[in-house]
Order: sequence, then structure tokens, then C-alpha cells
Amino acid sequence: MSEAANSLIQATADYFSQFAPFDQMDAEHVLWLAQHATLGYFAKGEAVLSPDQSAPVPFVIIKTGVIQGEQGGARTPEGDAWLELHEGECFPLGALLADRPVTSVYRASSDVFCYLVPAADFLRLTRLSPAFYDFCTRRIANLLEQSKHLIQAGYSRASAEQQPMSSNLAAVIRRHPVTCPPDASIKEALQLMQEHGVGAMVAVENHIPRGILTLHDVLSRVVLAEADLSHPVIGIMSTQLTTLPPHAPAHEAALAMAKQGIRHVLVTDNGRLAGVVSEKDLFNLQRVGLSRISNAIRHAATLDLLKQCAQDIQQLARNMLAQGVAAEQLTQIITTLNDLLTTRIIELERQANPIQEIEFCWLALGSEGRFEQTLNTDQDNGIIFAPQAGQDPVALREVLLPFARRINLALAECGFPLCGGDVMASNPKWCLSLEEWQGTFDNWIYHGAPMDLLHSTIFFDFRPLYGAAHLGMSLREWLQQAAPKNSRFLHQLAVNALRNRPPLGMVRDFVTGDDHTVDLKLNGITPFVDAARIFSLAVGGAQTNTLERLREIATPLNIKPRDIDAYCEAFLFIQLLRLRLHHAQNERGQPLTNRVDPDTLNTLDRRILKEVFRQARKLQTKLGLDYQV
Amino acid sequence: MNWLRRFLDAPPELTPRQAARLAAWRALPSPRLDQPVDASRYVVVDVESSGLDTARDRLIAIGAVAVTHGRIQLNDSHEIVLQQTQASDRDNILIHGIGGTVQREGTPPAEALLDFLEFLGKDPLIAFHVAFDQAMINRALRTFLGLRFEHAWLDLAYVAPALHPRLARRYRALDDWMGLFHISNYARHNALADALATAELLLALQPLLAARGAASFRDMKMLEQTWHRQSQPV
Repeated sequence: MSEAANSLIQATADYFSQFAPFDQMDAEHVLWLAQHATLGYFAKGEAVLSPDQSAPVPFVIIKTGVIQGEQGGARTPEGDAWLELHEGECFPLGALLADRPVTSVYRASSDVFCYLVPAADFLRLTRLSPAFYDFCTRRIANLLEQSKHLIQAGYSRASAEQQPMSSNLAAVIRRHPVTCPPDASIKEALQLMQEHGVGAMVAVENHIPRGILTLHDVLSRVVLAEADLSHPVIGIMSTQLTTLPPHAPAHEAALAMAKQGIRHVLVTDNGRLAGVVSEKDLFNLQRVGLSRISNAIRHAATLDLLKQCAQDIQQLARNMLAQGVAAEQLTQIITTLNDLLTTRIIELERQANPIQEIEFCWLALGSEGRFEQTLNTDQDNGIIFAPQAGQDPVALREVLLPFARRINLALAECGFPLCGGDVMASNPKWCLSLEEWQGTFDNWIYHGAPMDLLHSTIFFDFRPLYGAAHLGMSLREWLQQAAPKNSRFLHQLAVNALRNRPPLGMVRDFVTGDDHTVDLKLNGITPFVDAARIFSLAVGGAQTNTLERLREIATPLNIKPRDIDAYCEAFLFIQLLRLRLHHAQNERGQPLTNRVDPDTLNTLDRRILKEVFRQARKLQTKLGLDYQV
Repeated sequence: MNWLRRFLDAPPELTPRQAARLAAWRALPSPRLDQPVDASRYVVVDVESSGLDTARDRLIAIGAVAVTHGRIQLNDSHEIVLQQTQASDRDNILIHGIGGTVQREGTPPAEALLDFLEFLGKDPLIAFHVAFDQAMINRALRTFLGLRFEHAWLDLAYVAPALHPRLARRYRALDDWMGLFHISNYARHNALADALATAELLLALQPLLAARGAASFRDMKMLEQTWHRQSQPV
């Protein structure tokens, strides 16, 4: 080939390089691809690929126009296009990798120019280019990874010098730990801390950590306690040590700090001290720290202080988002802190208005029950109580309801709006004894009226938050037995769930309403949550978290781990997108909504969002098949 | 234009190797023009020259893209830049972007044109506004290779309006038709890029051609001639 002909090949390669995955590939491999591509044209309505074409089918990259995939066969839901492909997108990876015909008709829905690469050359390229291979085999995972990098890049401008929370602790440790023997004097220990400018001193014996003293402790344990500086330091140290191995991810340390209200975590390798990770190492935070918030919540004496904490939780979430904390950990941390907040509100309420000894448990419902709280979560809660022999449930309820009402109002003041549907512990319908709850659930499962089905999507995600957890656990065990037995009920739930279709468009990428938006919660989150709940109920699962549920159903329902991973990744992505949306709205002082205009997303996120909806459809298809909807 | 006269008067002297290449090209069989599009190879071309005067201006570059079995084969594409004794003037350079240095460093014309012929084989040529490309290429081949180039050409500037008679009045230039079919051009007035755009236009016209029963080069040629007779010269 002459050098001059390269200008066309080069221009084609340059064009490819604008899009994933080609932008991640070595230039020579993209050039190779361009050299092996032909350019074809398909008029609107023409089939580009169809199941009656025998394998091998070509690899297609769209140059201009839109191609739509139609699911073949009887399972088509009213001829819905189940996917729509645009400029720069490529397909059909599955068919090419498996050397089989495509299972759907790919039809040009506008005039289309597309590059076609013979299957043999496609396979050769997967061997030539690791980046391409990776893309083809881990499609969503890959797109997500790229999106995460973009997010991190975007936020890191705002807050420099941060450790991504996904890195392991070994990478976070900044220096050799400053240590002393346990019998060193307090004075010696303080001098060492002063010399090295560290905030914590660890006492070690043969490299095994025995205790820790932080600057924070000095005030209370040394100065105010008027400790004798010549005494061994071990006497004033904390000896309940929180340790993690060097390979543990940084977010685990963050979670430990949040849960225990500590500022330092020891990193130990086979018991030997490898380093100290402080909160400051994890978050380069000026104001808001994880342990500071959790301690502040624990010790808050008034509602006003708790309101401040609730705001700090939001600020913290923003900082963590900036550091690229994955959605799963982020929602977990938010939920953990919100649980603490709720617990503290209940404690304060009990102090202010002591109620008689009633064994009860505060239940978290809905997204809180699933550990999937984001920022604009309504409160969904209930109470389960245990009447002692001879006690009347009605009388106990009379006592509990005003108590619950005050808690609901306090939560509302902290930024958890009262539930519009009155799914709150202060509603007499949702403040029940164990026996009454079982009766209510049994009724829903037996009758399956529309309202029953709706309620079950909120209440069946319950978990104990405060108080007598065993009551919540007993109710869960009962449900695990009761739900799988009634297949009609599960069928009805499936019918209901399948009314909500992911908004993949016929003409544009997405079906949007008049306001040109899609609802990330309703269209994106709910299909996964609903399907996971139904499958989990069917197999008698105990989990309430959607990801845990998906992982739990894999084996009993014989779903490939690869598919489960894809569902989980899709779900997490949409959670992340939602968190980012809420933060952006927060920053601009707008009310929080779940609606997003797809055109405002970058091309990568838009593609992933489509992929997410595709996964949602796939999961729904399984649901439809299993329950013959 | 002394150099031109000299070549016009006397046939060019080819090296034995060049003469052998030319003879080999002449000996190639010509494909049948009635075979269907999806079994044929066409070569779509565009030329860049030092100006629009086909009698005096010089051929600077040819861009050629093969359309085989109805698909553009990206790797089956070719561009030649003919070595010039003098670069074209500044305004002209601004159009096609081939600078003076590149023009002077191009391939010696006889070699470049032999490369082109070998790339072409005997397959039919297709262009937009054939008259210009054909005249420039014919003259260069006669000048530098002593070849009387009698070849099958098809003009999309007549085929396109024949298929879209309602648009014929408004759509004249290649850019008009490119706009209609959303064809982009990565570098307008680059011979190869324009040839690619023209090839894409050929592809975009295929469904209409098929609908009109025009399945071969000969059928397309008839369509072109009918429109030519009916219309004013475009």
C-alpha cells in the first residue's frame, strides 16, 4: 500500500479513536482495524444483521445513523426495540465471540453508514489488542471503569491530593509508624510525638501493637486527668485496637472509623504493625470527618446538633464522591450514619419522655431497609413490639404512637421528609406486634390486591434498626417461610414489576417525557430492586440489599455469575449517577429530583445508561419467563 | 508551457520497465459491464489540479477508492501526487492543501500514473462531474505515458438527479448531495477524501438504483445518459 493511501486509513483510525473502546487501544491496532474495515450503507428500514444470516457475522461500527435491535421470536414485548445504537457504537460482540448468528434483527432506523469488519479479523484483533479483548469480554465493567476515571478527574480538580478509596491501605500509609515500648513513660511518648509531628503513638512489643494514644486523648487522659508523666504510657492508652491488613481497601478503614467513632486504624501484617492510617490520610477534609460526624451524632444532646450532623453527612458524601468512592460503599456509609442519627434521635426521645418498659424494635423500610439510601430519601419506618403475657397490643400501641410521632417529626427536621404515603411508625397501621405484622403480611400474600402489592415492595425490605432486633429477625424468618409458598402472589408481583419498562427509545436513545428527562429511580433503580426482591422472596432469601439479593439468588436460580456481575454493575452505576445528580442539584440549591435529561450526560455516561437499561430489560425478561408474564 | 508542447509533439520516452508495466496493464482483460454491482469492482476517483482549465492546468493528484461488491474497501484506496516542475500558485494551494514542497517531491508523473493504472486495472471509473476528471486524467496519461485512455466512466452528477428529479434543480454540487445523505468529509478538497465522499454517495444511491432495476454498471450508464439527454448540461 502506498504511503498516500494511508491518509484515508489514518483518517478512519482517527475517527475510531474518538470512541470507546478504540480510544483505549494502541494506535497501531486501531490502524490495523481501519485497514481491515469496509464501509457499507444501509437505507432506513434495511436489516444490517439478522438471525437468518449464518455465522460468521461481521463486526459493525456505526459511522452515521441509528441502528435498532429488535428481539426476535415470541418474547418480544409489543415489538419494542430493546436497544438502539448510535455513532461510534459497535456490535454484536456476543455473536462474534461465540461464533453464532445474531439472535436479534439489527435494523437501520435511519440511513446508516457503517464500518464492517470480517469476523476473522475481529477475532484477530481481540488477540492483538488486550484493551479490545478486555472491552469485548467485560463490556459494562469497562465502560464503568472509564466513567469512574472521568468522575475522579472531574472532582480531583476541586480537591487535590486524595487517595482513591479503592486503593488498598498499603498504598495509603505515608510513613513508618512512630512507636514506643509499652513501659515508656508518658513524657517520653509525648516527646516522641512532638518530635515526629504525629497525631498518634503506638506502643509495640516485638512489633506487635499493644495500645494507641492520640493527641485527642492527651487532653482528657493526661492534662485534665493530671496524669503522672513518669508513669508507663500503656496505662493511659486505648488497648481495644482496630486493625486491618495492608491489602484491605481504604474504604474499609473509613467504614470502621464511622462505625466506631475513631480517628486511627492500625494496619497490621500478620499481627506486626505496618503503619497507622488516620482519618486525615483517608480524607483530605478541611471540616468534615467521618469519625467526627459519627462521634458528634453519638454525643449530640439536642436536635439542633443532630440537624448540623445531618448536613455534615451530606457534605461528607460529597467529599467521598469526589474521591471516587464506589456507590456501594457510599450508600453503605450514608446508611450507617443515618442509622446512627436515627438511633440517637430515638435515644434523646427516650431520655426526654421516658416510656414504660415495652420491648420494641424500630424498623427501617424501603431504601433504608435495603441500605440504599441516597440523599433525598423520604423516611419509611415502622415499629414492631412484643406484648408480654396479658398485655393488650392496643394499649401498647397507644403508648408507642405519640413517641413514634415525635421521632418522625425529629427525622423530618433532620432532612428526611415525612413519608407522603404515611409509611411511618406513627401510623397505627405500621406500629404492630410481631403477631399483627405476620397477620398483615399474610393477608397481603394471600389476597395480592394492588395496594397489598405496593406495600410489599416497601415493607418486605424491612430490617431492624434500633431496639429488640430479634423481633425483626423473627418476622424475617417467618417471611422466608411464607413467601415462597404462594406462587400466585409472586406472579402478581412480577406482573406489577414488569409494568415499569426501562425507557429505551425507538427513535432517540431514550424514551423521555415532555420535559425530555428519564427518571433514574423509577426507570433505572426500580427494575433491579423489584426483580431482586421477587427472586429473593421466591428462594426464601434473608437479604434486603439489592446487590446482596442478586448475589444470593445466583445459585438457587442458576444464573451465571457473569450475568449477576453485570446486573450489579449496572445497578451500581445508576446509583452513582443518581448520587452525582443529587449533589449537583444540592450545589446549585435546587430541590433534589431523580429526573435527568440524557442530553446533559457525557457520551460515555449516556452509553452506560443505555447499557444499564439493557441489563434491566434482560433481568426483566428473566422475570417474565420465570413467572410467565 | 514549453514543456507541455514538447511532450504533446513527441511521445514520451518510457524506460523499458515502465513500458513493460504499461503493456501489462493494456493486456488486462476488461470486465463485463453488465455484471451486477455486488459482483463488481468500481473505482471512484477525484482529481486535484492547478486550476480549472482542462487544456492548460496541470494534474496534481488523483484520489481513488475502490467499491467492491457494493462496499467501500478502505484498504483498497490509492492516492498519487504527481511531481511538478513548478508548484501551483498560492490560491490554488489553499484549495487542495498540497503545498509546493509536496508537489515538487511527488512521484515522477509516469511512475505515479502507472501506479494509478495498476491500482485501477480495467475496472470502470466513477466520479462526480466526470468531464473534468476525465479530461485531466486523459491528458496526463497521453502526455506522460503516450496512452490514449479509453475507459468506461460514470458520472454521479447525472445519476443522482436522475434518481431524485425533484431535487435536480437545487442540488448541483457534490456538497449538496453529501448534505442530503449526511455524508461527512474528513478533508474536503483532498483528492482521496473527496473520492471517499463520492464513493459514499454511490453507496447511498444504491437502494434507489436497485428500485429502478439498475443492477449493473451498464444500467447505471443508461440512466446517466437518459438524464443527460433530458437536461441542460449541468
